Amino acid sequence: MGLIEDAAERVGTEVNNLKLNVQDAVEAMAHEYAGSLYDSILTTKLGKVVGWAQKNALWPATFGLACCAIEMMAMANSRWDAARFGAEVFRASPRQADLMIVSGRVSQKMAPILKQIYDQMPEPKWVISMGACASCGGIFNNYSIVQGVDRVIPVDVYVPGCPPGPEALLYGLIKLQEKIMAEAGTEKAKKRAA
Amino acid sequence: MTGEEIIEKVKAGLPDAIQDTALPQGDAVIFVAPDCLQKVAAFLKDDPSLNFDYLSDVTGVDYLLEEREPRFEAVYLLYSIDHSHSIRIRVGIEEENPSVPTVSELWKGALYPEQELFDMFGFHIEGHPKMERLIMPKDWVGHPLRKDYPLTTEAVTFSYNRDFKSELVKSKPPTR
Amino acid sequence: MSVTEQGLLERDKDTMTLNMGPQHPSTHGVFRVILEMDGEIVKTAEPEIGYLHTGIEKNCENKRYIHVIPMTDRLDYLNPPGNNLAFCLTTEKLLGVEIPERAQSLRVIMCELARIASHLVWLGTHALDIGAMTVFLYCWREREMVLDLNEEVSGVRMMTSYIRVGGVAKDATRPWLDGIRDFIDYFPAKVDEYELLLTNNPIWIDRTQGIGVLSREEAIDWSLSGPALRASGVNWDIRKSHPYSGYEKYSFDVPVYQGGDIYDRYRVRIEEMRQSREIVKQAIEKLPAGDYKTPDNKVSLPPRETLDTSMEALIHHFKLVSEGISVPKGEAYVPIEGPRGEVGFYIVSDGTNIPYRVKLRAPSFMAIPGIWELTYLASQEYSCPT
Repeated sequence: MGLIEDAAERVGTEVNNLKLNVQDAVEAMAHEYAGSLYDSILTTKLGKVVGWAQKNALWPATFGLACCAIEMMAMANSRWDAARFGAEVFRASPRQADLMIVSGRVSQKMAPILKQIYDQMPEPKWVISMGACASCGGIFNNYSIVQGVDRVIPVDVYVPGCPPGPEALLYGLIKLQEKIMAEAGTEKAKKRAA
Repeated sequence: MTGEEIIEKVKAGLPDAIQDTALPQGDAVIFVAPDCLQKVAAFLKDDPSLNFDYLSDVTGVDYLLEEREPRFEAVYLLYSIDHSHSIRIRVGIEEENPSVPTVSELWKGALYPEQELFDMFGFHIEGHPKMERLIMPKDWVGHPLRKDYPLTTEAVTFSYNRDFKSELVKSKPPTR
Repeated sequence: MSVTEQGLLERDKDTMTLNMGPQHPSTHGVFRVILEMDGEIVKTAEPEIGYLHTGIEKNCENKRYIHVIPMTDRLDYLNPPGNNLAFCLTTEKLLGVEIPERAQSLRVIMCELARIASHLVWLGTHALDIGAMTVFLYCWREREMVLDLNEEVSGVRMMTSYIRVGGVAKDATRPWLDGIRDFIDYFPAKVDEYELLLTNNPIWIDRTQGIGVLSREEAIDWSLSGPALRASGVNWDIRKSHPYSGYEKYSFDVPVYQGGDIYDRYRVRIEEMRQSREIVKQAIEKLPAGDYKTPDNKVSLPPRETLDTSMEALIHHFKLVSEGISVPKGEAYVPIEGPRGEVGFYIVSDGTNIPYRVKLRAPSFMAIPGIWELTYLASQEYSCPT
C-alpha cells in the first residue's frame, strides 16, 4: 500500500466522522426546536394566499345544459370525486358560486339567460367551457346553436371532448387552479377582485 | 288489424274524404285534404273496430325540393292501444297561407306538436288555443325547418352538407 | 286573542307566482316552468321549453345516413343506443335489409343496458331532489359500471354510436361479455338496496304517493308513453305490441300499476330495471353465433381481407366510404321503447344518400304538456300531508 492511498483513506475516515458529528448535531437541534415552525414568520403577498384559498374552494354553479352535464354530475360523484379538489359544492344560486361550468350546447334562446347568470355571479369568477359544443358549437353548426360560448361570456379553460370524460374535466379543473395560482397577486387578479 | 284491412275499413266508412291510400312496407297511410281532416280523425277515433285513441306524433314535411303540389304536408301518427295497430294520415297543405285544422279536441296530446308545426313550418293551426312560438325565442324571424331557411349562418371550411347550402350561406349575411 | 279567533287562518289564501328555471336547483335539463303556488302546493304550472333546441332535425337533413348516427346519440343523451336503434331500424325498413340474429341480440343488450343506466340517473337525481343524497351516490356507482361496459365495446362512455345501419359497429369482445355477466350477477342486490332505502321510506311515500295523479284516460289523451303511461294502468309497451330486434324471443314482464301517481311511476321504473337485467341475461345466454352485421355489401363494409382479392368488394368499399348508403325513395316510421317512452324516427327519403326529412318522436316533448293536466288535477284533489 502506498503512502498516498493511506493518507486518502485517513482523510476519508475523518470526513466521514465529521459528517456523522454534524448529522448528530442537526438531529439534536431538530429535536430541541421541534414545532418551532409554527412560530416562524413567512412573508408573501396577501393576494397569493387569497389565490391559494380560492383555488382550493371553487364552488361551481349548477348549470347543466346537455350531455356534458351528465358527465359533470359523474365528476362530482362517488367514483371521480371532485371533492378531492375542493370543487364538489354545486350551488343552485349563482350568487353563491364562483365557477361556471358551461356543460353543453348553448342555444340562441339560452344565451341571454347564460349571460344573466354569469353577471349574477360575484367577482372573482371563472368559467370552464366543457365540451366541443360549448367551446365552438361542436357538430351542431346550425341556426339554433351559439357557435362557442366565448361569444357571450369570457372563458378561462376549454375542455375538449364530446362529451369529455370526468377525468378530462378534472384535468381542466386542475389547469384552472394553476391559472388562478399563477395570476394570484398580479395586477390581473387585483382587477378581478376590484 | 293489418294495414290492408284498416285501409278497406276507412275507405268503406268515408268514401268521399279519403283522397288516396298507400301501403309502404305494410303501414296503412291515408291522404286527406285539410278540410276533411277533423271528420276523418273523429271517424278513426270513434269507430269501435278502429279505435285510434292514442296520438303518437304530429309532424310536417316541406316538399320544396321535390317540386310537387302541394308544397307542405302534415303527418299524423295514430295508434290504437287496445288493438295495437297504427295508421298514418298525410295532409297536403298549400304553399299560400298554409293552414290546417287542429285535432287537439280529439287528442289533447296534439297541442304541443301542433304548436311546433307553427313554430318550425309556419302552418296556421285553425282552432288551436295558443298560436305562438314554442321552441324558438318569441321574436325569432322565419320558420327553421322550411327547406328555404338556411341551415347555418356561418361558413365552415369543411363540410359534408349539401352543396347548395353554401350558396345560401353566402346570400345571407351573418347575424353578428 | 288567539290566532284562530282572529280569523287569520280562514283568510283567503293568496297564490304566489313562482318562476322555476331555466336554471334551477335541479337542473338535470334546462326547462322553465311558471308555477302558481298555494303554499307548497302547485296550483297551475305553465311549461316553457326550447332552451336546449339544437336543430338536430335540420342538421340531419344535410348529412348522410351514416353521419346522422352520431347526431342521434346526442338527442336523448341518456339513451344513445335506443336512438341509434330507432334511426337504424327506420333506415333498414326503407332499405329492406335483413339483420343477422347476433347483431339483433347485441343491439338488445346495448339498449337494455342503456335503459338501466338511464333509470339510474332518473332514480339518483329524483332522490337527490327530495333530499336523499345516498341514493344518488349509489346509483352513480352502478351507472359507472354500465359506462365502463360501453367504453369496452365502443370506445366511448356515453355516445356509443355502436348500432349502425345493417348491424353493429364491431363484434362483442370477450371482456365485454364477461363484464356483463358480472354485472347481471351483481345488479339485482343493488336494486333491492335502492328499494330498501326508498320504497317504504315514510318521507319518500309522503312526497310521492297520491301526487300528480293521471288517470288512464288522461294519460292516453295527453300522449304519454313509457313508464308514465304504464303507471296509469295502460299495458302498452312497444317491445310487446310492435316487437323489433327480436324482442318477441325474450320472456319478460311489463310492469303495470294502477295508481298513476309519482310513486307508481317510481315502482314501474324500478321493476323495469329488473326486467331489463332479465332480458340482458337471456340475450347473453342465448347469444347466437354468426355475423355482427349484414353481409349485404351495399349497406355495410365488406371484410377487410377481401379487399385484396375481390374487385367487387373494393368497389363496394369505395362506394360506401365515398358516397354512403343510398336509400330508396319512400317514407317510414319505426317506434321503439326507450327508457322514457316511445322513441321513433319518421324518415322521408328522396332516393339519395342524404335523408330528405328526419323527424324524431321524442317521448318527453310529448309528455310535457301533460303537466298542465297534472297540476290542474293536483290542485283539485291533493291536499298537503301534515
